Amino acid sequence: MRKKTLTNQFILLVCFIFTVPEIQAQDSIVKESVLNMKYYSVNNKIPYLIIKTQYKLGKKYTPVKNIPVQVYIDSDSSEANLLGKAITADNGEAKLIIPASVKAIWDASSLHNFIASSTATKEFDATKTELPVTKSKIEIDTSSDGETRSITVKATELKNGVWAPAKDVELKIGISRLNSLLPVGDEETYTTDSSGQATAEFKKDSMPGDIKGNLILMTKVEDNEFYGNLSVEKVVPWGVYKITENNFNKRALWGTRDKTPVWLLIMAYSIAGGVWSVFIYLIFQLLKIKRLGKASV
Amino acid sequence: MENIQNFSREKIINDLLPQKFGRRGMIWTATLIVICCIGAFAYFQQLRKGLVVTNMGDYVSWGIYISNFVFFVAISLVGSLITAIFRLANVPWRTPLTRISEIIAVSAITFASLIIIVDMGRPERLVNLFTHGRLQSPIMWDVIVIGTYFCLSLFLLYITMLPDLKTLIAAKEKLGKPFSKLYRWLASFWKGTEAQEKIRNRAITIICVVIIPVAFCIHTVTSWLFATTYRPGWDSTNFGAYFVSGAFLVGAGGVVVAMYIFRRVYKLENYITDMHFDKMGKILVMLSLLYLYFNINEYLVPAFKMKKSEEEHLTQLFAGEFAPLFWFAIFVGMIIPILIVIFPKGRKPKPMFVAGVMVVVGAWFKRYLIVTPTMLHPFLPKFDSPLRYSHYFPSWEEWAIALGSLSGALLIITFFVRVFPIISIYKTIEQNEEENAN
Repeated sequence: MRKKTLTNQFILLVCFIFTVPEIQAQDSIVKESVLNMKYYSVNNKIPYLIIKTQYKLGKKYTPVKNIPVQVYIDSDSSEANLLGKAITADNGEAKLIIPASVKAIWDASSLHNFIASSTATKEFDATKTELPVTKSKIEIDTSSDGETRSITVKATELKNGVWAPAKDVELKIGISRLNSLLPVGDEETYTTDSSGQATAEFKKDSMPGDIKGNLILMTKVEDNEFYGNLSVEKVVPWGVYKITENNFNKRALWGTRDKTPVWLLIMAYSIAGGVWSVFIYLIFQLLKIKRLGKASV
Repeated sequence: MENIQNFSREKIINDLLPQKFGRRGMIWTATLIVICCIGAFAYFQQLRKGLVVTNMGDYVSWGIYISNFVFFVAISLVGSLITAIFRLANVPWRTPLTRISEIIAVSAITFASLIIIVDMGRPERLVNLFTHGRLQSPIMWDVIVIGTYFCLSLFLLYITMLPDLKTLIAAKEKLGKPFSKLYRWLASFWKGTEAQEKIRNRAITIICVVIIPVAFCIHTVTSWLFATTYRPGWDSTNFGAYFVSGAFLVGAGGVVVAMYIFRRVYKLENYITDMHFDKMGKILVMLSLLYLYFNINEYLVPAFKMKKSEEEHLTQLFAGEFAPLFWFAIFVGMIIPILIVIFPKGRKPKPMFVAGVMVVVGAWFKRYLIVTPTMLHPFLPKFDSPLRYSHYFPSWEEWAIALGSLSGALLIITFFVRVFPIISIYKTIEQNEEENAN
């Protein structure tokens, strides 16, 4: 009887051990995701939105992919206000260009409220975020008096159907390089004055440009609470065409296999050749042993 | 070999001829075959689905496959240490250890070559290395030197075994027909004439001279796979010597373990004596101290400077995520074996076996620590990558393949011992007769 009770207790203990992680796993299935939305306008053309889904693990945010998101303009109660639907990619981001179908709504006001919401999945719950944006634009102008070159950026916002100066807007003025913006002067950022203008002196002499000596000037407003992200570019002939020495067809360590440095070829082949010659000699010695053995039969 | 001075030639031959597997031998072999099969199945899965079945990613692109590769290359160096260096130095007590070290070298270098192919997502593209390989790449040097070392090790094993094969052919009745066919195919031409013996001896001397620099090259070049890249933990001028010293240590540890097992299983106490353990113990201490010295150089100097780029890597090793493994490798792989073996009592077979196992296990984890933590600390900041990319723990497929390759290497040794004598019969008789004559 006592033995049976012990067996039952053991079975119960095993069931308990295997059930507890299951219960815990069920409790932790649905996680809370975070939705982030940003507004972009490049060269004052058709703006777009980037929606990013993340989830917080410890102190770090990790991108969440395959989350369906839908974005509305001004109101999420009407299908007419729907800008589009998207599914987040591997980096947790989805991009939505504002479609022509909402032109009437877009033109009707200078201030819009974008509403993004994600659909609940097996792993993550539904969430929602809003982003108010005031219509704005930036323009870039350049001047040169032979000695000094300057860049003037003008930021304006739409107020009651009229483009008015946008003051106290922090922006960057620089030269567009690979994935970054090289400041044209000593300042990292500039702020627009009451006329919505900011001026920077171009201090980068002999800056390498393209084959015609052109540089791409760029001004950027980043994560502005009213206007979002704006950027505009202008090509200016202020660079120099730098002729770089072409080592492509020369022998180098980083060259293709037919461009191996001669010293390396000599070294490698002489070492490998030396060792393999000895090995081949040894094989011949073995064959000699074999011949001697057959001869002595 | 004082114990066998009164042994007759027949007794020595009888003691050293290959023996059938007993019950334990069958269980051991079956276990290794099962592990190999699981590894083969995991590799099939990897071939079918790609490297996605591993937990390697954008940052850790070299995981336990490469750690295993470095381990195999390291342990294979023992062939040159025991056979070549001891022969050239005319070490008189080397006879029962040479073949053990040679077969360890051959099996290890075979699996070093195989495991590197396993690490390739598209193994059929291996041929591209020969058709499009760039001699500027250390990977190409490694392929050349591993191929060369494999051929030399196999040749050394074969040529030193020729006189024994003659003995095996003569023992046809005892060893059975299938094996006899193999022996005849391998060495029916060996008559043991003076002229043959002269050529064979000269060939062994030549190969012993050549195999030492090749052995140094094989592990130096393997170290250069890491050291020629500008990464924390690998950017070191110390790496060649550091790798070679570590390789000799793990090789010696492997031989000690094999000596103990063969001695016990095949009752070879008269041939592998306490004196051999004592001598190998002294070598093990010397090699452990040498490797410890290189470790101190490798970690203390960068830790003294604590360059920004190295800081995270070193902190992770000394006190972070990898600290338990790091200190395990240092203490279990070097310091404790030194403390065991430095005393004469510790150089008895049993404590030597324990020390040998510790050295080998510590060495495997040491290779993991050389390869993986560096890959987790790239120079360019990690940006917007999934959290799992910042950690690495091998998948079951990786474990199965790695363990399968280790079992495969042991299986080669096991089958070799079943077919060939693990101690040179010819050399033992010759040495015994010389000692009796004196």
